[in-house]
Amino acid sequence: MSNSAREVILGSIRTHLAASPPADDHPVTPANPVILSNSDPITRFKESLEAVSGHCIIATDATDATDVLKQILTDLKAQRVAYSDNPPDKHDIFGFDVGVSTAQAAIAETGTLVLDSAGERHRLVSLVPPVHIAIINASCIVETLSEALTLLQKKEISPAITFITGPSRTADIELTLAIGVHGPQQLYVIVDGSK
Amino acid sequence: MNHLSSETFKENAKAALADVQLRGALKNATSLFGERRKEAAAGLPNWEDLRSQARAIKDEVLLHLDRYLEEFVRNAESRGATVHWARDAAEANSIICGLATERAARIVVKSKSMTTEETHLNEALEAAGMQVVETDLGEYIIQLAHEPPSHIIAPAIHKTRQQIGELFTAELGMPPTDNVDQMTSTARMKLRDRFAAADVGISGVNFAIAETGTIVIVENEGNIRLTTSLPRLHIAVMGIEKVIPRFNDLDVFLKLLPRSGTGQRLTTYQSFITGIKRAPSDEGPDELHIVLLDNGRSRMLAHPVTRQSLACIRCGACLNACPVYQQVGGHAYGSVYPGPIGAVITPQLMGIQKAAQLPYASSLCGACREVCPVKIDIPRLLLHLRGEISPRKGSRAERLAFKMWARVMTSPSLYRLSSVAGRILQRVMPISRAWTKGRDLRPVESKSFHDLWTNE
Repeated sequence: MSNSAREVILGSIRTHLAASPPADDHPVTPANPVILSNSDPITRFKESLEAVSGHCIIATDATDATDVLKQILTDLKAQRVAYSDNPPDKHDIFGFDVGVSTAQAAIAETGTLVLDSAGERHRLVSLVPPVHIAIINASCIVETLSEALTLLQKKEISPAITFITGPSRTADIELTLAIGVHGPQQLYVIVDGSK
Repeated sequence: MNHLSSETFKENAKAALADVQLRGALKNATSLFGERRKEAAAGLPNWEDLRSQARAIKDEVLLHLDRYLEEFVRNAESRGATVHWARDAAEANSIICGLATERAARIVVKSKSMTTEETHLNEALEAAGMQVVETDLGEYIIQLAHEPPSHIIAPAIHKTRQQIGELFTAELGMPPTDNVDQMTSTARMKLRDRFAAADVGISGVNFAIAETGTIVIVENEGNIRLTTSLPRLHIAVMGIEKVIPRFNDLDVFLKLLPRSGTGQRLTTYQSFITGIKRAPSDEGPDELHIVLLDNGRSRMLAHPVTRQSLACIRCGACLNACPVYQQVGGHAYGSVYPGPIGAVITPQLMGIQKAAQLPYASSLCGACREVCPVKIDIPRLLLHLRGEISPRKGSRAERLAFKMWARVMTSPSLYRLSSVAGRILQRVMPISRAWTKGRDLRPVESKSFHDLWTNE
C-alpha cells in the first residue's frame, strides 16, 4: 500500500518536473558572516541571553560555579532537584522543582544553549521542571549559529539535539508575552570561566 | 462558529468587515508583527543575500525533489525512523489512525501542524475513538472554541483576551479574569496532565534534512518538545516540500524563519530529531514515524510560476503585510492557509473552482512579495491563477464596453463628442456605481487638453 503510494508520488514528481520549463534564476551571493559586536563571546552570550529574559552568571572556575549553583538552589528553596546525569523517570519528573544540566555548546550571537543527547539525558530535565539551570564551560561558547551547526556535524548526528534560547514563552493571547507556558519559567546559565 | 467556505469569500469578508472587535484585534496583531519583522530584518545587514540564498536552495530542492526525498527517507530509515507516503489527506489520516489504533492508543497530544489542519486529522482521530488534545496555546484556545486557526503562526490572533478569558471560564472552570499570565498558567496545568497520560505525540516538521535524515521543528512554548519526548510513539507529518539538502542550509533558514514570523533572532526551542534513541535507557519515544504528504503538491511542480508555492516556509509574514488580510482576517478565506499565500495555495490544493474567489482577494500591491523570506512572487502567482479561472475574456457587458471604447478612441469626432458627453453625464447620472462605492471619481475637467491646446 504505502510502497505503491511512494511510487505514485515519486512518479508524479518526475512527470510534472519533466513537463516544466526551468525556473527563473536567483543569483546567489554568499551571505557573509555578520559580526554584530566586538565584545568577547562570553559577554555577548550573557547580553543575548538576558535580552530574552534568561539569567546568566559568570563564575571564575568550577568550584565557584558549584557555589553559584548551590546559592541559586538555596534562593529558590528547591525541594526536589533533577540532574541530567541521573534523570528521574518520565512519570516522576513532573514533581521536580528544578532541572540541572550542562550544555555541549552555546551560541553567543543568540544566547542559545546547545544540548546533545550524546552528552547527557537532557530532554526532560531541561524542559519539565519550572526552573532549568545549565552549567557550561566558557570554552564551549561559539560566536555564530553557523559555527554551532558545523560543530554538530563533526561526528554522527545524535538522535536528539535541542537548542534553547531563554525560558519558554508564548504570545498567543493578543501577542502579549507570557513566560513559562509549557517549559521552564526561569532559565539560569552558569558560565564556568576557567579555560 | 461555523467553518466558512472559500467559495463564499466575498460574503465572509463582508461579515468580517462589520465585526469591530475582530478588526481591532487584527489591526493590533498585524501591525505589531509587521514592526517586529522589520526591526529583526534590519538587524542583519545581509538580509537580501539570505533571501536569495534561501530561494536558491528551495529551487534546487524542488527541481530534484524526487532525489532529495529519497535521500531523506534513506537516511531517516537507516537511523530507525519509519517513513510512510500519503498521496492525499485521506491516506495520511488512515495511516496515522492505523498506527494509533494498532497500539491501542487512547490519548493523542498534538503540537501545532498546519499540514494536519490541512488533512483534518483531528476529526479522523476522534472518529477512531481517540481523545485529541492540541497543546500549542493558540491551537488549544481555538480547539476549545471549536474554530479553525485564523493565522499560520498565531492561530487565535482574532480573539481578544476578554473572549479567551470567558472561554476558559466556561470550558475549564477558570475564575473569571482577563489576565494573560493567569490564563497561560491555567492552560499549562490542564495540558500537563494530558502530556503525562498521552500514548501518541503528533507534530509537524519545519525542515527535513536530506543528508542526515533529521527533522527540525521550531517553537517558543515547549509543547513540541513535550509532544516529541514523552509519548512512546511520535508521528511527524510533513508536506513533501519540506526537505532541504544539507544540515548547513539551516543556517540560512533558521535566520529567516523566526525573524520573518515573530521578529525573534531565534525562537526559544529548536528540536533536531534524527531517528530513534540508540539505547533503551535513553530518553525519547520508542518509535518515530514520518508521514510524507503529497495532496496536490507534486502537481505544482509542473510550472515555474506555481512551483514557487512550494518554497513557502510558513512564516506568516505575507499575512501581516497584506491590506486584505489586515481587514478581513483568516477565517474569511475559508481555508487553513489564509492571506496571500493561502490565496495561492488553497486553489491549487482544493481545486481551482472551489476557491475561485481567492486569487481575486488581493489588490496586487506587492507587499507580500516584499516581505517574503524566500522571495515568492505572490502577485504573479495570483495573476497566473486568475488566468486559469477565467480564460473567457470578461463578461458580455465588459466586452461591449471595450468594443465601444475602441470605436470612440479611434475616431477624433466621436472622441470629442464623448468628452463633452462625459462632462455632462457625470453630473446628471451616477455612472460606474460599483467603482465609486469604495472610492472617489474625480470630475472630468471642464476644458479638455484638446481645447487648451487649440486656444493657447
